[in-house]
Amino acid sequence: MGYTIGVDVGGTFTDVVLRGTSGTIAVAKCPSTHDDPIAGMLTGVTRVLAGRDPSRVTRVVHATTLATNAVLERTGARVAFVTTRGFRAAVPLGRYARVEEDRYDLRFTPPPPPVAPGDCFEVTERVSARGDVLVPLDEESARRAAREIAARGIESAAVCLLHAYANPAHERRVAEILRESVPAVVTSSETWPEIREYERATTTIISAYVGPLMASYLSRLRARLAELGIRAPVHVMESGGGVISAELAARRAVATIESGPAAGVLAAAGAGFADAISFDMGGTTAKACVVRGGRPEVTHEFHVGGKGSFGGRRAGTGVPIKTPAIDLAEVGAGGGSVAWQDPAGALRVGPRSAGSFPGPACYGLGGSEPTVTDANLVLGYLSPALSAGSVPLSPALADKALDRLAGPLGVSRARAAYAVHEIVSASMASAVHVVTVQRGIDPRGFALVAFGGAGPMHAARVAERFGIATVVVPAHCGVASAAGLLAGELSTDRVLTRLDEPDPEAVFAALAGEAAGDLGVRLAAPGVRVLRSVDVRFRGQSHDLTVPWSAERAALERAFFRRYAEVYGIAQRGEVELVSYRVRLTAPLPRPSGPSPQAGPPGPAGSPAPAGSRDAPDSPGSPSPAGSHGRAGAPVPGARPAYFPELGGYAEVPVHTRDTLPATAPGPVIVEDAEATIVVPPGWTVTRAAGGAVHLVRTAASTGSTGSTDSDASTGSAV
Amino acid sequence: MTVDPLTAEVLRNALVVAAEEASIVVVRSAYSTFIVEGSDASAAVLDAGGRLVAQSMATTLMNSMALRTALPELLKDFPPETMRPGEVYALNDAYRGGVHTNDLLVYRPVFVAGTPAYFTATMIHVSDLGGLSAGGMAPLATDIFLEGLRLPPVRLATRDGLEPAVAAILRANSRTPDKVMGDVRALVAGTAVAAARIESLLSRYGEHGLAQGVADYLDHTEARTRAALAELPAGRYEAAYPIDDDGVDPDREHWVRVAVTLGGEAAALDFAGTDPQVPAAINASASQSLAAAVFAIRCFLDPAIPMNDGCLRAIDVRLPEGSLLDARSPHPCGGRYVPIYAAMEAVFQAMSDAVPERAIAASGILQPFSIAAVGAPYWIHLSYDFGGVGARRGLDGPDATGVHFGIGRNSVPQVEPVESRCPLIVESIETIPDSGGPGRHRGGLGSRTVYRFLADCHVTTRGDRLRLAPPGREGGLPGRLGGFYRRRLDGTVERLASKVNNVRFAAGEAFIVETTGGSGLGPPSERAREAVLADLDAGRVSPRGAAEDYGVSPADA
Repeated sequence: MGYTIGVDVGGTFTDVVLRGTSGTIAVAKCPSTHDDPIAGMLTGVTRVLAGRDPSRVTRVVHATTLATNAVLERTGARVAFVTTRGFRAAVPLGRYARVEEDRYDLRFTPPPPPVAPGDCFEVTERVSARGDVLVPLDEESARRAAREIAARGIESAAVCLLHAYANPAHERRVAEILRESVPAVVTSSETWPEIREYERATTTIISAYVGPLMASYLSRLRARLAELGIRAPVHVMESGGGVISAELAARRAVATIESGPAAGVLAAAGAGFADAISFDMGGTTAKACVVRGGRPEVTHEFHVGGKGSFGGRRAGTGVPIKTPAIDLAEVGAGGGSVAWQDPAGALRVGPRSAGSFPGPACYGLGGSEPTVTDANLVLGYLSPALSAGSVPLSPALADKALDRLAGPLGVSRARAAYAVHEIVSASMASAVHVVTVQRGIDPRGFALVAFGGAGPMHAARVAERFGIATVVVPAHCGVASAAGLLAGELSTDRVLTRLDEPDPEAVFAALAGEAAGDLGVRLAAPGVRVLRSVDVRFRGQSHDLTVPWSAERAALERAFFRRYAEVYGIAQRGEVELVSYRVRLTAPLPRPSGPSPQAGPPGPAGSPAPAGSRDAPDSPGSPSPAGSHGRAGAPVPGARPAYFPELGGYAEVPVHTRDTLPATAPGPVIVEDAEATIVVPPGWTVTRAAGGAVHLVRTAASTGSTGSTDSDASTGSAV
Repeated sequence: MTVDPLTAEVLRNALVVAAEEASIVVVRSAYSTFIVEGSDASAAVLDAGGRLVAQSMATTLMNSMALRTALPELLKDFPPETMRPGEVYALNDAYRGGVHTNDLLVYRPVFVAGTPAYFTATMIHVSDLGGLSAGGMAPLATDIFLEGLRLPPVRLATRDGLEPAVAAILRANSRTPDKVMGDVRALVAGTAVAAARIESLLSRYGEHGLAQGVADYLDHTEARTRAALAELPAGRYEAAYPIDDDGVDPDREHWVRVAVTLGGEAAALDFAGTDPQVPAAINASASQSLAAAVFAIRCFLDPAIPMNDGCLRAIDVRLPEGSLLDARSPHPCGGRYVPIYAAMEAVFQAMSDAVPERAIAASGILQPFSIAAVGAPYWIHLSYDFGGVGARRGLDGPDATGVHFGIGRNSVPQVEPVESRCPLIVESIETIPDSGGPGRHRGGLGSRTVYRFLADCHVTTRGDRLRLAPPGREGGLPGRLGGFYRRRLDGTVERLASKVNNVRFAAGEAFIVETTGGSGLGPPSERAREAVLADLDAGRVSPRGAAEDYGVSPADA
């Protein structure tokens, strides 16, 4: 019998989940240790092992924000950028957009480029869009660049030559020459050979930027796990929800940028609903993603460090990364978001967050501004018995903070608090809107899977805005990402742009072979699956859509026309062309048999109560219960006044834990447990589901609903 | 359900999202080369009173002011009570709110109790609608009839689909009939997406609730605008800015003049004294001049104020009839960006005098050009490169980007897609060292792009600030002048006029676009040494430029 361990290192907490063949599970939540993230991980791993034999751990799966943080905090390696002669200014010039307030800002300064202009170099060569060599590579120019890079003391280089997707020979030769004097060199044709030089260059640059950091981090991690006696392979979650070896993660570090969020979405995908919307709300942001047919939706371009607009990260406001990533929308709205009045008197919430220090006013750590958590406390959704660290939340401080809003607005404290709750729910709904309605997906009929510390408190209100009738709060919803890690299969992606390709089969075969090499599996091995897709567009257009591959041209075109109508609402016909070929290779893992974490009963001995294992002030999203509601085994159902506009204000509402909850109960009800507080408004019924999950089902007819967020997106009435 | 004033922000965001979704559909499903490789589409929500309620985030004011100005004109020809659900209308007439031929404005009414209460609108620069050159530029037009098809308000579609007669007219007047119809379908689909959103808002908030929410939103925006205007120093500030030439007479400059009056909670921008309209393509329609004036003054207000009619109420823009800024038939309007960029610069300079701590020196501007097949079947590359931005108090100007209308560099096409579509090779895209005007704070650099042709083609340009360099401020020096050039097969280089129409290039020849640098602010002698040395490392100044402009020798480093 063996164990697998999932570790998610987040901004505030490091979550660790242990899974065994017998279906037992242990979870630990420890404060993240920013200076040495491995220390926090090891604390958690030791805690979940609780004396078990470390040599029986068969696998450690890791989600890490190392790459993201390196980009956001600009702590990666200094990178030299090498490109075709004539284009060294292209990356420093950038392709930023100016949106919203930037548009009218005469003092706008473009975001700093991912490489300094002085660190950009040129080699003499040129290839055409069809891969023909127009100017042969002048190897002396590459040697000259290598000498200058070395003279500048730069140890990591990214090579991106024009049209290298069509013919990588020059890139490969330049890399060979550079490697004689530069320790780390990556090329665009090995990183992500897709047309459009700017995004291909930034993807390659970011890989060179975070690669050395990732390589040394992962080798230190393995060494320190070995000191604990764990010699199992370390796997890393990549942005697209697949799992890759540590060796590949070091080589293709850019693929791990969205590692953490991807894990959370996999947890939602495992909640038992084929069509689901994952909804993760923490202290500072809320994230949404769509799962269709059990698979998370994937995007082929995202922007790290980008600015959000109504839940979408706008193209041109961050560094574009072309490797596949789970299609997340994120809004700056969480438990710590600060409510404020704009100069014309309108009530706004976020994007500024009180963070974990000083945190919401009710934490008593010196914060005085009203936050979403303060509003939820005033409304009675959060229990005053909850604690932030060792100190109970202070209703008096929350009241005082909300009065700062209510006074100038001329309304009661409760009304101001409910307005904050409603605005933040709408703001989170806009994230859901981006990944559903804007993508041509009708969210009705989907289940909303809520997790994160604050998600279950707002989930029903978000669901109401879309006519969504089912909300699922999984067991262990506070460590969902770590649990999701253990649901991922070994998997990776490859792409190649080839215009007018006469032999797509050969392209796919080569891509599948490379992907198999990446994962270290044989293509013919049992259970290895290859998913082929292709980017298709109408000839003359620039934007393409990815559709599953079909060797039969008519069927492929039909699939494209259908997708086009779904996304744009236009029944267009015309000549189409194929642009890029994609494969996703998935290989099964030797899994411990037995039920999934959600299906198993709570672990007996050695399963630390997460609430008890916290040593620090909690994140604003998820104050932890203390006292009588805190631990399983000490359930005391109770009641407290909570505010529901449907009931005309405050009403005495039953309060349960997951354990005292009857099989089914009508809202309003509040369910509190170690991980989160679930608010069940009037019009909803709460039921206990298998494995400790809780389901909320809408019983009342929708009250007219949905504002920004109604149903059918693509509105067929086109032409 | 009415709008709770506490949560009005929710409705406001929903209105913007409605426009935003329309623009996403248009930009991704359009064919126009101008749109597909860069520029965003524009989309807006208006009410039946012609008030601009919300616009998509990437919509430039040029386009939203056109949509706003043209809607009342549409309603003159088609009274609201004659409109039916499912109908869609279009126009491009510059004298009735439009911009120029290729910018097609499309409207869809949203009905309440059988009457149009709102309009959703989209517009893009479509693939081609005739005129002197493929793609829509006619820099040497002497009247509007040379600029292409002029479309008064027409019913473009009914619930049964496009009106066959209108579609036939559009096709017949386009060099790229299939693409232009693809663009039209994209525009129509965009209005449908936004209309569905407005209908769902109507069902959530009710007729009166939505109307009240919109009214409150406009009032809220007006209040914020007035509050921001009140912080500006009262007074009258005048400035003028020149246009190089009109393309017909290369040596005669034209002037745009403005007097900005600030005081109380309002601003008045009076362009009296601006030179009269000319029979050449450097005039603007009124909607475009309004956009320039509003944009320029907004740059000195809180940038986060929403853009809608509420903002316009606090800003009084006076355009002299029959001037470069309010042309009358049949004066061409296609080159509107030339006079309105001069208008923006004039307002920037007047406001820099008013608020010196936020001063900005004059900038290079975008330089549009088209490259097209000499005959059918047409391929068209329509694009622009940006000049350098002028230095700001305490800040250098950014390199080769848009400061006017806040257009970002993401609208400049990438090399690989262009080369995969057109018979040309882009040899280089570079910043030009020393092109930023020297100063305590340096102007942004201009850029140089070289296109070598693999087939004969036509080149058309619409440049300005290529003869009269953007002047520096407070002792700063002008930016270096750019230009358009032909490199012949023998390697010799010939300078083209700033505005040329269908100049034939032979295969193997190259077209060079150099943009003008932004000007400097403050004396160059006051520039920090470290800043000069950093510029040297980045290649923004050459060793010679460092020595001559700043008296800094690289050896000093």
